[in-house]
Amino acid sequence: MRKPWYSIFYVKSPIAKIGLGILAVLAGIVLVLFLMATENKRMDAQTASWEGRSIEKGASLFIANCASCHGLDGKGLPVVAPALNSRYFFSQRIDDVGFTGSLKQYVKGTIHSGRPSKVSTQWVNIMPTWSNQVGGPLREDQVDQLVDFVLNWEEEAMAQTPEEDPWQFFQDSLSKQLPYSPDEPGYDEKVAEAIAAAEAAGAVGYEIGGVAAEAPTEGEGDAAAGPRAPEDLFASLGCAGCHNINADQTDESKGPVGPNLGNLADHAGSRVDGEDAETYVHQSIVDPGAFVVPGYMNGVMPQNFADQMSEDEIQGLVEWLLSH
Amino acid sequence: MAVQPEVEKKGLWRSFTEGADDIFTRITAGISAGEFRRMLRGEPPGRPNPRLKPHSEAFLLHIKPTYYHESVTRFTHTFRLGILSTYLFLFETITGIFLMIWYTPSPDQAYADMIAILSNVPYGQFMRDLHRLGAEMMVAIVTLHMVRTYLTGSYKPPRQFTWFTGVILLVVTLFLSFSGYLLPWDQLAFWAVTIGTSMAEAVPPKIVGETVNLLARGAPDISANGLLRFYLLHVLFLPLVLFLFFFVHYYKVVHFGISLPASEEEVGQDTANKVPADKRVYFLPDVLIDETAVLIAFTTLMIFLVTFFFSAPLESIANPQSTPLHTVAPWYFYWLQGMLKIADKTFAGVILPGVLLVLLMAIPYLDPNPSRRVRDRRVAIISGIVAGVVMIILSWMGTPQYAAQAAPPVEVVQEMMPEEGAGIVREIGYDEIPNGVYDTRNDLPAMYPEEEYPGMHEILVEFEDNIKYWDKRDSDFNEAYGVLTVSQEQPNLKRLDWDIRWLDAEGVEGSFQRSFWLHKDSLYWEEYGLKDFGYLMPTEEEQ
Repeated sequence: MRKPWYSIFYVKSPIAKIGLGILAVLAGIVLVLFLMATENKRMDAQTASWEGRSIEKGASLFIANCASCHGLDGKGLPVVAPALNSRYFFSQRIDDVGFTGSLKQYVKGTIHSGRPSKVSTQWVNIMPTWSNQVGGPLREDQVDQLVDFVLNWEEEAMAQTPEEDPWQFFQDSLSKQLPYSPDEPGYDEKVAEAIAAAEAAGAVGYEIGGVAAEAPTEGEGDAAAGPRAPEDLFASLGCAGCHNINADQTDESKGPVGPNLGNLADHAGSRVDGEDAETYVHQSIVDPGAFVVPGYMNGVMPQNFADQMSEDEIQGLVEWLLSH
Repeated sequence: MAVQPEVEKKGLWRSFTEGADDIFTRITAGISAGEFRRMLRGEPPGRPNPRLKPHSEAFLLHIKPTYYHESVTRFTHTFRLGILSTYLFLFETITGIFLMIWYTPSPDQAYADMIAILSNVPYGQFMRDLHRLGAEMMVAIVTLHMVRTYLTGSYKPPRQFTWFTGVILLVVTLFLSFSGYLLPWDQLAFWAVTIGTSMAEAVPPKIVGETVNLLARGAPDISANGLLRFYLLHVLFLPLVLFLFFFVHYYKVVHFGISLPASEEEVGQDTANKVPADKRVYFLPDVLIDETAVLIAFTTLMIFLVTFFFSAPLESIANPQSTPLHTVAPWYFYWLQGMLKIADKTFAGVILPGVLLVLLMAIPYLDPNPSRRVRDRRVAIISGIVAGVVMIILSWMGTPQYAAQAAPPVEVVQEMMPEEGAGIVREIGYDEIPNGVYDTRNDLPAMYPEEEYPGMHEILVEFEDNIKYWDKRDSDFNEAYGVLTVSQEQPNLKRLDWDIRWLDAEGVEGSFQRSFWLHKDSLYWEEYGLKDFGYLMPTEEEQ
């Protein structure tokens, strides 16, 4: 019988088969040794890879959920939410609040459980709870992805000079130290900011950046100081962060976050029927949601200015805004 | 017996060699060292054949035949598919136990465990890849084993029941593979299994389908309980079922013998168990050597594939709220997915596969043709080939290529940077994608020549081609162009904004935006293809 072409596969020789087996064992050992030699690097690469992927996912979560308050670049918005992409935040924050865990745990705890509101705070919005374990919208793994994304600012933040650091000092938990060296540009301004925050909170007997504050003397307390000047209020309460007082609000030039206030007097009286200019501006300060200029979002402007100023101060501010 | 008088009588050396020979004979269950040497030299056995002893002495060999017909030991008669299927079951058990050490069947933990296996366990990825490749190989080899049996007509009397149990083993293999699919708890797993179990829901009548679905998932949707159930099916119940039917199947194989090539016996005859003395090939040593060599070579092939060409996929963690675009079943269920696209779930997902399965099991009882010769079985072989071609066509229809396309701009972005998995942009990676704005209305490939920007050039050519392809194909997608903006979001993190604009058939402008982020360290891979060994390159600091 003629042998078919595939008869080459009819291997009978045991030596050939044993040889094949031995070669295969040797080849297998070589492959396993190759893997052994590269295994540490592979594991490192995988570890970094999954961290990287987590940061990628965190980025999209941040843009969707966090950027409206903490800013697209994480540098915070005045009086809305603090900066995260900040040198102070990375190097000093957990010491100042007395947190005993790591920064990663601090960030995770904050995102997970939020920050319940305090009696006195300069921030407009409270940090909500984000984890679905405590009523928020995100799964635990998404909270972890956000943490990874926020911490990935470290390299950029640590390179900031005091001048570039967008941190705004909290009035309800004072800074005890500053992470900057006195010869860096902007150091003095940063110390002054920290002290201003402490003073705004009425703190006494603190020391910031080596500057010991004096205890307030008689008559320097809030009550005795009398109404603050409107131009100071406009700066210290953060109005200037969103409203440009030096530009006019026109169709060609609109303020990006809040309307420009340069020509406020021209149209304040005509915005709402039955309200004159003073009533309208006053109401816009104490209850910003009552009327929102078309093209702007409700809820961006802080709702608590009535608590932060006395009635006299608000009146002064209204007059100043309309006459500016 | 005292040792000393024995040594005095025989001398030290002889007592030693005899003792060693005795131990050797005990270990091999009856083969002495001398006989072993004669085996290796290829010498014929003496009479009575001393090489039969292990078959009666040793448990593991008592189920193996002592000799085979020469014709069935030829490689091209069986291709060793049966023993490879059995071996893969053992292989999957061993690699599976290794993986079980680090795995917790809980939605809170499973996915993190997968990442830990990949990034923190030495040989972890290796074992996972082997297990996954072994599972896919097992499906393929069991199927090929069935195809071989069909083509040689070996299911014919008296082997009808062997075929029947074989079909059961095929089904159990498919279920084993499918139940393991859910365990990594990633998007791929979750949605493939959601689709799969929803087919169980279509079983008529409604109450039965819903109950089956509820029993499988442990809740209306797959969750912690569903994962635990699939885990127990995968590691305990299905292996036990497979184990049982394997022994029934194998007992039948040995009992009737492997069928001879059809040309070597008369039609209707079965002489597999009447092997003339000159045609006998003894298990010891010839078949043992053959099978061992095949299994070792196969193992090395698997290790080779896993080292360079195969990586088990792992997508994002399962998210019941978001179905990724183009969810597909594993490839061996593409045919089913294809059928589901052209008919309703109850018919294509339950009744038709059920009928096909019963038909498949019943083939030996239905086939009236006594001949196993190819020229007598034209109808059977042609219908077998037609069935195979239909399966391949249905499988193609099961892929996203067929009748599951999203809108053109979505497809363009999906092609470049899919929601899950790698895609060309992620595979080329962070380092080769410079920041900038890339507008396809400009001649991008010329602006970014291949010599200077090898990766970016490829991406831009692909981007342009994709848009042109859909522009030509879809009348609602005209004068389309795309703008890719790459910006630095954070250190080591780039943001890629895809913006596609077009005019529809009425000339109304449309646009589609999608943003993705890409980290320097992220590795993305496809399941099949050369692995990326970039991590072996020295890093910038080391240079």
